[in-house]
Amino acid sequence: MRDVAVVSFAQSPCQAANRRDDMADILLPVIREAVYAAGIGRDDVDFVVSGSHDFYEGRTFSYIESLDAVGAWPPISESHVESDAAWALAEAWSWLQLGEGDIALVYGIGRGSLPADLDQVVPAQLDPYFLAPLAPHRDAIAGLQAHAAIEAGLTSEQGMAEVVVRCLDAATGNPLAQRSGQVDVARLLDAPYVSSPLREHDVAPIGDAAAVVVLAADDAARRLAERPAWVRGLDHRMDTHYPGVRDLTTSPSTRRAVGRAAELAGFTTSDVDIAELHTEYSHQEAILTNALELNGAVVNPSGGPLAGRPVTATGLIRIGEAARQIRDGNADRALAHATSGQALQQNLVCLLEGDG
Amino acid sequence: MTEPITTMPSPFRMDYTYVAGTGRSVFLRGLAERRLMARCCAGCEQVYLPPPEFCSRCLRELEPPFELDGRGVVSTFCVVSFPFPGQRIDPPYVVAHIQPHGAGTRLMHLVREVEPEDVHIGMAVEPVWVSDDELDTSLLSIRHFRPVHYGGADA
Amino acid sequence: MSRRVAVTGVGQSKQAKRREVSIGAMVREAVTEAMADAELTFADIDAVVLSKTPDLFDGVMNPELYLADAMGAVGLPVTRVFTGGSVGGHAAIFGAHLVQAGLAERVLVVAYSKESEGNFTWALSRGLPFSAPLGAGAGGHFAPVIREYIRRSGAPEHIGWQVAVNHRLNAVRNPYAHVHRPDITVEEVRDSRMLWDPIRYLESCPSSDGSCAIVVTGEEHAGHTPRPSAWIHGMAWRTETGHFAGRDEVNPVAGQQCAADAYRQAGIDDPAAQVDVAELYIPYSWYEPIWLENIGLAEVGGGWKLVEDGRTMFDGALPVNPSGGVLSGNPTGATGLLRFAEAALQVRGLAGEHQVDARRAIGHAMGGASQFHALWVVGSEKPEAAW
Ligand SMILES: [Zn+2]
Repeated sequence: MRDVAVVSFAQSPCQAANRRDDMADILLPVIREAVYAAGIGRDDVDFVVSGSHDFYEGRTFSYIESLDAVGAWPPISESHVESDAAWALAEAWSWLQLGEGDIALVYGIGRGSLPADLDQVVPAQLDPYFLAPLAPHRDAIAGLQAHAAIEAGLTSEQGMAEVVVRCLDAATGNPLAQRSGQVDVARLLDAPYVSSPLREHDVAPIGDAAAVVVLAADDAARRLAERPAWVRGLDHRMDTHYPGVRDLTTSPSTRRAVGRAAELAGFTTSDVDIAELHTEYSHQEAILTNALELNGAVVNPSGGPLAGRPVTATGLIRIGEAARQIRDGNADRALAHATSGQALQQNLVCLLEGDG
Repeated sequence: MTEPITTMPSPFRMDYTYVAGTGRSVFLRGLAERRLMARCCAGCEQVYLPPPEFCSRCLRELEPPFELDGRGVVSTFCVVSFPFPGQRIDPPYVVAHIQPHGAGTRLMHLVREVEPEDVHIGMAVEPVWVSDDELDTSLLSIRHFRPVHYGGADA
Repeated sequence: MSRRVAVTGVGQSKQAKRREVSIGAMVREAVTEAMADAELTFADIDAVVLSKTPDLFDGVMNPELYLADAMGAVGLPVTRVFTGGSVGGHAAIFGAHLVQAGLAERVLVVAYSKESEGNFTWALSRGLPFSAPLGAGAGGHFAPVIREYIRRSGAPEHIGWQVAVNHRLNAVRNPYAHVHRPDITVEEVRDSRMLWDPIRYLESCPSSDGSCAIVVTGEEHAGHTPRPSAWIHGMAWRTETGHFAGRDEVNPVAGQQCAADAYRQAGIDDPAAQVDVAELYIPYSWYEPIWLENIGLAEVGGGWKLVEDGRTMFDGALPVNPSGGVLSGNPTGATGLLRFAEAALQVRGLAGEHQVDARRAIGHAMGGASQFHALWVVGSEKPEAAW
């Protein structure tokens, strides 16, 4: 395996609704920041791969608009995933293993604010014959999962509120967070349910942002970053689709992904100092912590998705944030997690390490 | 016994808010004033019409907007010859790629006031704007392009 | 890290308006056939790649989630690729990359579209915000490019009609093809309705439902079945921006570079002489000479002469789209992968009635405004060296 590292990461501020900038205007300054931070020019990039989704943008081929922003001239080697850009990073990491190039640019852009009502959009992610026609509320399946998690003794409404308090407090140190501040558990528990047992604060606030990660291999990584965040292991797995068939209190795909990632990395999650988890709901932290067998790691020091969830960029931001902790010397080993689908159906795990 | 279920309608309705962006809104506002606003990149001298906010080649902000008169040439075209849903005019009609003078990019628009068989690649064309009360922040403020008739202001 | 990679399984569904099966069942048809061809069970598969054109076309968002079970993908890594019409080619190449990089031993690449299930017109006619609704329609983009090709090359107008006839006659040999018109004639194409002048109705692709799947494996796992493998000799993808001054959409540089890179890997220096058959992404008949020139199978301006001389017909020296191609069936999400899969079938000698004599074949896919290009060269012989 080639050694591949995150050498640079940038993101735009998470905004509930950015009505000033179009896709290109959100994305280009972030690409510029990430590329310049790595000390390279656009033409030094050997491979570009991105993640976005037409259902959020409300038009077909929306990804071509973002690509025009990146500029593909002279022609580039390029690919795209129609899902969270963490999967784009996985593709870039695979591509760098081929040895055909040394530097890959990964970007994710998502605007959750464009759909007038996400309840119209989110059910389209379900089986079109049996589930989508039920048109469940966007948080309904997560509510079922939260309830099951509480019943299983994994967490409680109090415990979920405590996760939110911790994340929003951590987010006060993150100027790009959408939501942050000191709140108290009792006040949170006074709020009404949106999809019981979930309250508004339990739901990661959807919004708009772009994120960009520059990956580099071997000597290029050592040249471009003082302390590269080496991707030591990466894997992703899928669970069955049907919520009625799954045990929603566990995440077998996460467990499998972390097992494989740890095998590649040569270290386990008990060795990681920090973990950035793609928690779309507060109760999912308990499920993921179990599946990942996290032991003492600081979870979501950036504030995590509960402080801001730009669709299709949130997972990539987890990897960028975990890498930042290593590059800044705050951690030697870090874990990043990304998810796609309802109630954690598909999960990705990335293990990162700094030079000793 | 019972009829099998072969199809099940599952209607979705989805509404979206589209964001124009600062770069594009300069162009759209210009259209409402019968002005085609372009912007140039100081790095590579590319002139964008419509202009975004940034040059994708050079990753830098474009220079302030300036106006083009919209005259240009047909770089290529096709004749839409059959009816289909969503059409606003009866076929046949000409949809062309127009290369405005001074712009580095092409616009797609209708070419009218000429028989389709007389349209040719390289033909000089100019925009025909809608009347004052129809002007809007949309490319439809240009009703269509038509051949330029040289030899007189309105000949 | 790099190693030899082969296609050992190919499956596809009938292309048609498939109202009698669900999306999952239609996908499963291709998957089952590919797995049976490769003589594998789902436990042997390490990763799945799904190719699909816009989700808005058939109304299922992130279909990789719903299809996890139908693709046998539960417990596996699944990547959902989307790069416009070339996506099937991109997916095949990404699957092969996973094997080549040693990250997987056997990868299942799946592709489909079921546009009869969605309101296609609705999805396309939503209009792009901020651009004028000109009523150009689907072919309105390609027709001006074709006009420019004809102007430059001086090709006579019957070339487009002849390609349409060639491909439809080929399709008669392919039971999976959507369009079967054994009696088609040049006169019939010429007299068919003009859609986007210069494109006539019978020079256009249909809209089809359909699926395709392939299994790619590392060298160690090829040769375990009685059926031969298709060896990947070279593969590449390239993308270029859609709109800028001086862009040549008739002969896009990205397409030229994509082919050149794949030929370099395959050790090909005279593609027209060293390739036996090509499955090209030809949604409108004039794209046969356009792509022949773009990917170096004909000299610039001379692609139409290969058609004129009958060289690209079924029994010609360089048959193009013996399967019938996109003109005979177009499930958009699967169309690119079908070209790659058909190339593999030809060098494996498993193309049935539409088999031609082929040791080396090209699979090609294109998307967007001729912005996305993917191409692979497959051969019946194991390549001399891994790249
Ligand atoms: Zn520039």
